[in-house]
Amino acid sequence: MKQYTDLEYLKLSKGQRLLYRIAGFFCSIPKKIGGLFVALWNLIKTAGSAIGKEVSDIWSTFVNGDWKTRLSFLVMGFGNLARGQILRGLLFLLFEIVFIAYMILAGGYWLSMLPSLGKVGPTEEYNIIFDTYVTTYNDNSFKILLYGVLTIFFIIAFIYTWRVNVKQNQMAEKILATGKKLKSGKDDLRSLVDDQFHKTLLSLPLTGILIFTVLPIVFMVLVAFTNYDGTHDGYYNNLFTWVGLDNFNTMLNWQSAGGGQSYAATFGEVLSWTLMWAFFATFTNYFLGMFVAMAINKKGIKLKKVWRTVLVLTIAIPQFISLLYVSKMFAKNGIINGFLMNMGWIQQALPFWEDPTWARITVILINIWIGIPYLMLITTGILMNIPQDLYESARIDGANAWQQYTKITLPYMLFVTGPYLLTSFTGNMNNFNVIYLLTGGAPTNPDASSAAGAVGYTDLLITWLFKITTGAESQYYLASVVGILVFVVVALISLVVYNVLPSIKNEEDFQ
Amino acid sequence: MKKFLAYLLAAIMVLSMVGAAGATELAGTYDITVWVAAEIVDLTKTQIEAYNQSNELGITFNATVEAVSEAEAATNMVTDVEAGGDLFCFAQDQFARLVQAGALAKLGVKAGENVAATNDPFAVAAATVGDTLYAYPLSADNGYFMYYDKSVIPEEHIDSLEALIADCEAAQKYFAFEQQTSAWYLASFFFGTGCESTWETDAEGQFVSVKDTFNSPEGLIAVKGMEKLVKSPFHLSSASGAEFSSNAAIVVTGMWDYETIKGILGDNMGVADLPSFEVDGTSYHLGSFKGCKLMGVKPQVDPARAAALHRLAQYLTGDECQMGRFEARSWGPSITALQQSEAVKAHPGLNALLAQAEYAVPQGQVHGSWWDIGKVIGDDVKAATDEAGLQLALDNYHDKISNLFKLDTSALLFVGAWNGWNNADDTDTYYIKNNTLTLDVPESDYMGGRIVNPGDWGTDKGFAQVTVGKELIKDLGADNPDNNIVFAEAGNYTITINGSDINIIKN
Amino acid sequence: MSTNTLQNDSRPARRHMGLRVSRALSNTAIYTLLIIISIIWLIPFVCILLQSFRVENTHQVGYVIPQKWGLDNYVRLFQTDFPRWYLNTFISALITAVLQTIIVLCMSYTLSRFRFKMRKPLMRLMLILGMFPGMLTMIILYRVLKDLGMTQENSVPGLILVYVASSGMGYYVSKGFFDTIPKSLDEAARVDGATRFQVLKKIILPLSKPIVIYTILTAFMGPWGDFVFARYIAFGTSKGMNVAVGLYNWLNKDQISKFYTMFCAGGVLVAVPVTILFMCLQKYYVEGVTGGAVKG
Repeated sequence: MKQYTDLEYLKLSKGQRLLYRIAGFFCSIPKKIGGLFVALWNLIKTAGSAIGKEVSDIWSTFVNGDWKTRLSFLVMGFGNLARGQILRGLLFLLFEIVFIAYMILAGGYWLSMLPSLGKVGPTEEYNIIFDTYVTTYNDNSFKILLYGVLTIFFIIAFIYTWRVNVKQNQMAEKILATGKKLKSGKDDLRSLVDDQFHKTLLSLPLTGILIFTVLPIVFMVLVAFTNYDGTHDGYYNNLFTWVGLDNFNTMLNWQSAGGGQSYAATFGEVLSWTLMWAFFATFTNYFLGMFVAMAINKKGIKLKKVWRTVLVLTIAIPQFISLLYVSKMFAKNGIINGFLMNMGWIQQALPFWEDPTWARITVILINIWIGIPYLMLITTGILMNIPQDLYESARIDGANAWQQYTKITLPYMLFVTGPYLLTSFTGNMNNFNVIYLLTGGAPTNPDASSAAGAVGYTDLLITWLFKITTGAESQYYLASVVGILVFVVVALISLVVYNVLPSIKNEEDFQ
Repeated sequence: MKKFLAYLLAAIMVLSMVGAAGATELAGTYDITVWVAAEIVDLTKTQIEAYNQSNELGITFNATVEAVSEAEAATNMVTDVEAGGDLFCFAQDQFARLVQAGALAKLGVKAGENVAATNDPFAVAAATVGDTLYAYPLSADNGYFMYYDKSVIPEEHIDSLEALIADCEAAQKYFAFEQQTSAWYLASFFFGTGCESTWETDAEGQFVSVKDTFNSPEGLIAVKGMEKLVKSPFHLSSASGAEFSSNAAIVVTGMWDYETIKGILGDNMGVADLPSFEVDGTSYHLGSFKGCKLMGVKPQVDPARAAALHRLAQYLTGDECQMGRFEARSWGPSITALQQSEAVKAHPGLNALLAQAEYAVPQGQVHGSWWDIGKVIGDDVKAATDEAGLQLALDNYHDKISNLFKLDTSALLFVGAWNGWNNADDTDTYYIKNNTLTLDVPESDYMGGRIVNPGDWGTDKGFAQVTVGKELIKDLGADNPDNNIVFAEAGNYTITINGSDINIIKN
Repeated sequence: MSTNTLQNDSRPARRHMGLRVSRALSNTAIYTLLIIISIIWLIPFVCILLQSFRVENTHQVGYVIPQKWGLDNYVRLFQTDFPRWYLNTFISALITAVLQTIIVLCMSYTLSRFRFKMRKPLMRLMLILGMFPGMLTMIILYRVLKDLGMTQENSVPGLILVYVASSGMGYYVSKGFFDTIPKSLDEAARVDGATRFQVLKKIILPLSKPIVIYTILTAFMGPWGDFVFARYIAFGTSKGMNVAVGLYNWLNKDQISKFYTMFCAGGVLVAVPVTILFMCLQKYYVEGVTGGAVKG
């Protein structure tokens, strides 16, 4: 690929520049992959040396420290307490007590069961007195996995806190050696609303994210390496256990194990429609939404608020109500076909939901109905922010409306909403509601892999994933593999876009 | 020894007093949750109240009755058995799934005998795995028949699919028969030509084999009939009685829509068994599934509570309550005596169902994935342009059915090549379920095979792993790069896989 | 950025007739277009509204105008568990709105205003986490909530917990908004000796009305339409359902014929609070979203 100099690059038109950057990205992939390994190696090296440094640091703290410091290695917070930092000391001590108590009472058990995910499944016995069967439940693979992971989190947190505890002693010694005073509990509290205010602000949100986002994701990634499904639910019927990479082998195997497509082929088909959908859903909404916003904002148009409110109704009414109704409207015997037939315009019903191509186009069209109001609201404000003198001078130069649009409005919009377009694209890839409520994935794709549930032509990866999870066999492990693959795809796309659109990279530009 | 005798004595006493001891120990109040369809929530409350009034053995239930549809109940139970209803109702197609999920408690001996003695045999079969009953038949009306609008469809046409399609097209009205989204309905054509799809389970409710003849000359006739319907511009793939108010003239659905359709059509409502279709001059009457609804008891930890719940389930599925549901909601009873009663026989809807029952196939146990695999046929047939296309639909279907067993991750395959490894013609594939396989090795040149994981042909087990029965196989040494097991002589062998070891026994 | 800047065309009238005619023409075209769009956008809602007043039967029908009008559907709605579902949803929406706003503002304010060591890695981590399909985690969130006793009849606090706990991930829009507030304001105050907390309270918050209202509005709207996760959490107990789950269950094969018109009536009642809020607060919504959405 030809490399342009800066000057040559600047001479290119907008479109050429974009193409150049896209081509550049793909050409640089081999280099980037190489770079990735180098980076990975460097990371390992840095991590290794960092750990080495930490260890030697801890060691020297122990060797050089006084008895208070040394005792703190065993009793966390002792140094703080002995040096008068009561608040910190108590917190450290409390944390250690809680940790040890937890490990003895529960954590140890979960951790020890983690490698096997349980040994004894439920047992059923006949009770002769009552002529009835009773069930005894035993190990619970699900809980073992969940609390095992949680325990590991906890251990990491403990190690980190212990390290902080050691460091504090070291620092306290240093400060006292220079004759200064240590921070009191009051100082600590004050810093929480001042210097350390960000920690206060972030503590709550991050705890929530850790427990309700990170933990579940780690768990679900691990599920991909087990045989967890409806018949191995880990407690009520059979325990589940680790199966290594089996599920990935099944999923990524191009060779169909008999009839229908292989999973990989089905995945590829669903993925290609998902990308197609995301592209059209994003850009039809974007341009039409912008267009509607411009129409409403045009000078001389009255009742602006009324037009906007009408559109905004689609946001206000929950989609599961409006979309289900719209879906019925387009049915073979729905009111749209009924109307067209009554008017004599068509002889037989249009196959909105029956034909694969029709169905795909129809969902994209209906998605416009959903999406325009959001885009209208977003672009309204941005359009107002475009400096009016730009248009004024363009008009004086004799530019017509179309030229004004392509030369001023569009570039401005694209620049400002670049990041939004990206999030909107990935958001559309995971747009569950529209597909699930309108078609449920129909019409079904006869070629699709059999054990992956009935996959339809309008199924997105996310709705497919939902079908796998809640389908007849509840193949959670497979859903988990699909989820991981969805992640890989989304991440790749984001990576491409980030590399092509420089305006996203540097967030400080906006400030 | 004395102690042992004492125990023995006590055990014998307990055994002899089963009835009496049970009576005293069952007494008490139980807090329970019952899941039933929305339309019988109030009725069920009354029935449980009546049970409490009867004060059988001093049992009282403090019941919360929740409306959970039959389709939803199974999904919810699989999600979390513990949070499920103590008693719950579900349609028969969910039965196997629920057994596998460990969501159904087995019936006691007496209860089982009682159910088997009083209920329609097909309903009993529907609740049975192996020799064990897992649920109580609740109703036996889970089948479909034809509703039609008398003002559009002349009475003399109701026996012919072709005439019905023509009537609908002429009147520009829809023929609703869910052929594109439901295997339950589209099986109708296949059963009409005598095809079958019969599934076998082992004692744990795991499916072990299937006899499926959809891909056959009869199957081809069936899809030719189906083609006539699905290619009509006035075919509607729906099974909702409400379609009558959206321009439908015929809807194939079941008893649950009876009142709705009656409300829409009034005196114009006609009911009948399904019509016949004609291919190459022969007429075939459409078949259907004969299914039932079941009531299950969630597995319990406490024996007294379990026994009490089973008693309530017996009561709720007994004579009195089934009749109550028939009178209030027209649910067709599963108890043979009630089926013969005049009142039930006089019901037009149940009557049509009964007429259709002659052509219906008892639903039995069907693999959960079959519903997803089968429902594609309708779309496939619609897309087909010629006979080859129709055949392709059947081939596709057949491949996926056979695939169901191959893709089971717990299964291993034994791939046998009796006449030399590269001779593909005599390669046979056996599924090793539950780690045991019995196979006949014929007298031939090679008599070998390999054990592989269906997902990954690279990780096979073979000669090296055989620990017991090594004398039965040949050691080919370096000539055996594929790690094959090559038998020394023909015969019947049982191969057992025990962890990473293989045991071979000659029978 | 007031709405009026574009409406008042205050430039001198130096246009000739031709331009005015063409403008009038193009305006007519735009009016026609807007009217058509409005009709298309309103049809489904009008239909749903009409269905809710239809009393001659309760199932789906092929016509739009009811043959008999009445309020039966609304009356019958109040004989079911609907009021309970409505209350559940209203409570969870209200509490979620408050807590989620606090969390999101904490998060976005910090990431916009503070520069600390872990800031960039944190933002990158959250970007990556956001790429996992959240639907997957439904299974495990159910079990976690169950261990906390927050499923089935107690699912309202459980739902609130889940909505709020992960809401920190949605900081983008409000961070974008805070980025537009000049930093010099904070710095001036810091020089005057204000603590970080005081800066937030006295300077930033008063300027943030649009984004606060935007966040409240979006947070409030969420619970009304949640029929997937809430259904997974509250199955089998009518008392614990939110309005979306309760209504959605009426669409089951064996119930839809009896409940369809009530489903529509319920939908109308759900739309009322959200629509009113939206109409009143539209201005802030626009300001908030334009300040924020575009800045990633």
